[in-house]
Amino acid sequence: MFPVQVLATIMVPFAAAFGFFHSPTAGPNLLPILTCFILIPNLAAFLIMASPEKWARWISLFSASLELGVAFRVFTLYQTTAAGFQLVEQVPWLNNFGIQYLLGVDGMSTLMVFLVACVYFAGSLISWSISMRVKEYFVLFSLLVGGVAGAYTSLDLFFFFLFYEFAVLPMYLLVGIWGSGRKEYAAMKLTLMLLAGSAFMLVGFLAMYFTSNVHTFDIRVLGDLSQTGFNTDFQNFWFPLLFLGFGVIAAVFPFHTWSPDGYGSAPTAASMLHAGVLKSLGGYSIIRVALPALPLGARHWLPLLVFLTIVNILYAAIVALKQKDFKYVIAYSSVSHCGAILFGICTLQVAGLNGAVIQTLSHGIVAAMTFALVGTVYGKAHTRELAKLGGLGAAMPVLGGLFVAAAMANVGLPGLSGFVGEFLIFLGSYRSGFHGGFDVFQVLFPTAILAIVLTAIYYLRLVQIVFYGPVKDPHIKEEAKDGTFIEILPIAFLLAVSLAVGLYPKPFVDLSNAAIAPLIDHIGGFK
Amino acid sequence: MIQVSAFLPELWLVGTAIVLLLLDLIRGKQQSKDLLYWIAGLGTLGALISLACLNGCCAASACPASGPAQAFAGFLKTDPVALFFKGVILLATLITLVMTFRYFKSHGTYYQAEFLAILLFSASGASALTSAQEIVTLYISLETLTISSYLLASFMKKDKGSNEAGMKYLLLGAFSSALLLLGFSYLYGLTGTTVIVDLAKSLGIQTLSPMLALAVILVIGGLAFKISLAPFHMWTPDVYEGAPTPVTAFLSVVSKTAGFAAFVRLFWVGLSAQAVLPVWVGLFAVLAAMSIILGNLEALAQHNIKRLMGYSSIAQAGYISTGFLAGGQLGLTAVLFYVFVYLFANLGVFLAIVIVSSKTGSDEIADYAGMWKRSPLIGIVLLVGLLSLAGVPPFAGFSGKWYLFGAAVHMGYTWLALVGMVFSVVSLYYYLQVVRQALVADAKDSSPIEMNLLEKAVLLVCVIFTVTLGFWPTPIMNVAQAAATALF
Repeated sequence: MFPVQVLATIMVPFAAAFGFFHSPTAGPNLLPILTCFILIPNLAAFLIMASPEKWARWISLFSASLELGVAFRVFTLYQTTAAGFQLVEQVPWLNNFGIQYLLGVDGMSTLMVFLVACVYFAGSLISWSISMRVKEYFVLFSLLVGGVAGAYTSLDLFFFFLFYEFAVLPMYLLVGIWGSGRKEYAAMKLTLMLLAGSAFMLVGFLAMYFTSNVHTFDIRVLGDLSQTGFNTDFQNFWFPLLFLGFGVIAAVFPFHTWSPDGYGSAPTAASMLHAGVLKSLGGYSIIRVALPALPLGARHWLPLLVFLTIVNILYAAIVALKQKDFKYVIAYSSVSHCGAILFGICTLQVAGLNGAVIQTLSHGIVAAMTFALVGTVYGKAHTRELAKLGGLGAAMPVLGGLFVAAAMANVGLPGLSGFVGEFLIFLGSYRSGFHGGFDVFQVLFPTAILAIVLTAIYYLRLVQIVFYGPVKDPHIKEEAKDGTFIEILPIAFLLAVSLAVGLYPKPFVDLSNAAIAPLIDHIGGFK
Repeated sequence: MIQVSAFLPELWLVGTAIVLLLLDLIRGKQQSKDLLYWIAGLGTLGALISLACLNGCCAASACPASGPAQAFAGFLKTDPVALFFKGVILLATLITLVMTFRYFKSHGTYYQAEFLAILLFSASGASALTSAQEIVTLYISLETLTISSYLLASFMKKDKGSNEAGMKYLLLGAFSSALLLLGFSYLYGLTGTTVIVDLAKSLGIQTLSPMLALAVILVIGGLAFKISLAPFHMWTPDVYEGAPTPVTAFLSVVSKTAGFAAFVRLFWVGLSAQAVLPVWVGLFAVLAAMSIILGNLEALAQHNIKRLMGYSSIAQAGYISTGFLAGGQLGLTAVLFYVFVYLFANLGVFLAIVIVSSKTGSDEIADYAGMWKRSPLIGIVLLVGLLSLAGVPPFAGFSGKWYLFGAAVHMGYTWLALVGMVFSVVSLYYYLQVVRQALVADAKDSSPIEMNLLEKAVLLVCVIFTVTLGFWPTPIMNVAQAAATALF
């Protein structure tokens, strides 16, 4: 009976949302689709606050399914042939400071909208096992999604910033209250580091507003300024600050230290959302704001900043090899993958940036899946110490199998989403380096590929220690059971998405390319 | 001709205060004091309503004379900027009354009528200050505010902390008033006038003389004390900690608002001549940066919430100064808007402090543990109010800071905006310490904290304003901008 109820709660709102917006004229005209996308999780938060505790999970699942329907519709509504920003909603907000309520998606944000909805959906299901302060948990969880949903669809810097920081705040409480280990330390570190990064963003945005002669926070207009829309000194001063400011949330070295502690301590669904969605905001914002507005600064600084991203990729991979805690391995793996995303951005090639976007999507899905698996295993084995785990594969064959699939997706096995992104990134860095441009990429290209080998090593080590070998702890053997329906469902869902991206990447790459190709035209790339 | 409407809000306040004193004299000793609070509240509400009428009068030009109401040869003039500041002051006074009621329920004193009367006198001084167009009027209003505040701060006679607070405040306050008066006398000597508009005219044709610079510095020193800008902030933590909590709340909002009103009027109208402008703007940039840095750093080590709020208010004064020194329409709009949102965030938190301490008898941050269980509303108020002060979206402090720092960047003070933003992150650390206790930690004592309907309503209003103005600041921003436009 229970699985039927769950499936009904998923299918009905999904179909309703998709169907409502199906007609290209009626639905979006009645209700602005992107505003709905932001409002659904936020309204769900208020609804959960006002209703009895036992309903919290169901409301959350209902709204996540609704959100998934809306996201699928956005995905199908976006026309890659037309490119540019579509589904734009514009309302003047504060006339004295040129602030508007401005939403819209291009190919890249369409992918991100899709990603947000997928992880929200999976996170809602994974959170079923929360038993302490349930109502507050789901309120904060929904608000977190509401924040990121806004950040990915806002085209006005005021609202972009508002949603960006708004997403960080629930994270503090989610980690602080429902976390494990040194949760209060981790929560504080995470919040302060992310907000310190955004302090530079805010001043940078204001400086852009007053320095450009158009006086606007409209990202589209700032991105369409000529290359010299801001003078060279301004671009060279602000680009690295913005890159690092955005980079903090993408865990760029040396500002990555919040990330392992944060993920190590966060409750499962919060790690999923943070690694899958919030972290992706870093790379997304660089492509969305910093590159188009400050192209000269980008070309000046990226050949230097790329070294940070290489350190990210390699250093995090090496550290992951030596971790003793299951979840910390995944956390460092996520840092390493985000390094690859930023590396792709640094190449300033169409292929490299497309790779970065696809890798953002893939990393979002795969990291969420991996964290979901770790959380589920932890819930059954009651320990994350690798020294105590072992031989779980016999007790939980389904979870073990899924974990192997997740590990392969992380490593970048062809057929799964990780391959597409990494392949494009390396293609981009190859082109960047071998077209007579910047010598740095010739050196870095093979170095980055080394990371794939390291990733394979630490993931296989993990699979071997946790799921194979002898059972080290007799309690685990007696008590550990395989995943239940409600635990398997979200993981299987994410795996299906990863497979879809890996087997038929064309629609996804087309979407990404619709945003990236004009951007590289605008910047000029390294030639 | 004297237009009574030019000082109608002050008349309401002073009238109510006198009624309170007389009524308390007539009534017997045994009778409950509750009635007095209702009268004080109604009087303040009357002042607020008269303000709304004045505002309507300005807008609809239904006044008998054209333009804002004025009296005493134009020494008092209720222009839109004054009306905005008065609105903030009166709202703050109303919320302070709610706090006072609660406070004296737990810290009983016989002299409640006197307290209320002095509070209203003090508010009337602050209110008059905002419409003063002449420096002697300005000084007298300011002293009405401050001298009443000395009394209020030391009102708990048997409490050592309160006595110390009052004495410290009196000595340092008197010193700063003397500085201010000295500065005013130099200004008068240099220009031959005390009317602020005429000051500007006279200074417009002068060059910068050492005497003029000295006068400006003295005036800044005297007034900076009132808004506790560093390095004139030494009194703040001690007075905030020792004074009765409603008085602390009153000082943190009303005294500061009045101080900024005086600054805006005196500097942007009177001292905006090219000869002196760079001197005080530069000086202010240094004071603002110092306040932001010192206030936030010193707050990090506090474990008493009132002391913490004292340091926090020093930093807040620094943020507001950033917008003030940038000036122009944008800067002044930012100052007005920020003062308005600061009112709700700060007083919401202070009301929560009063309610909690009336139950626990403690102002230690550690005793806020588990507030989410004892009273969810107080937990939410602390979260929303403190994070708004830290400038985190979607709370009103965020949009306020966006404007303040925007104005600073506009005028080329990008470094000051960076200092402000970086230290906002520092401030988050200590604000989150309180939030952590209130929402994350487990309760040592989980007995619920009760409050009456009025307190609940006020807390809810504070939360709703603080949240809504964060992402939808448009209505208040429009009013603030209209007021700012009228001044420039």
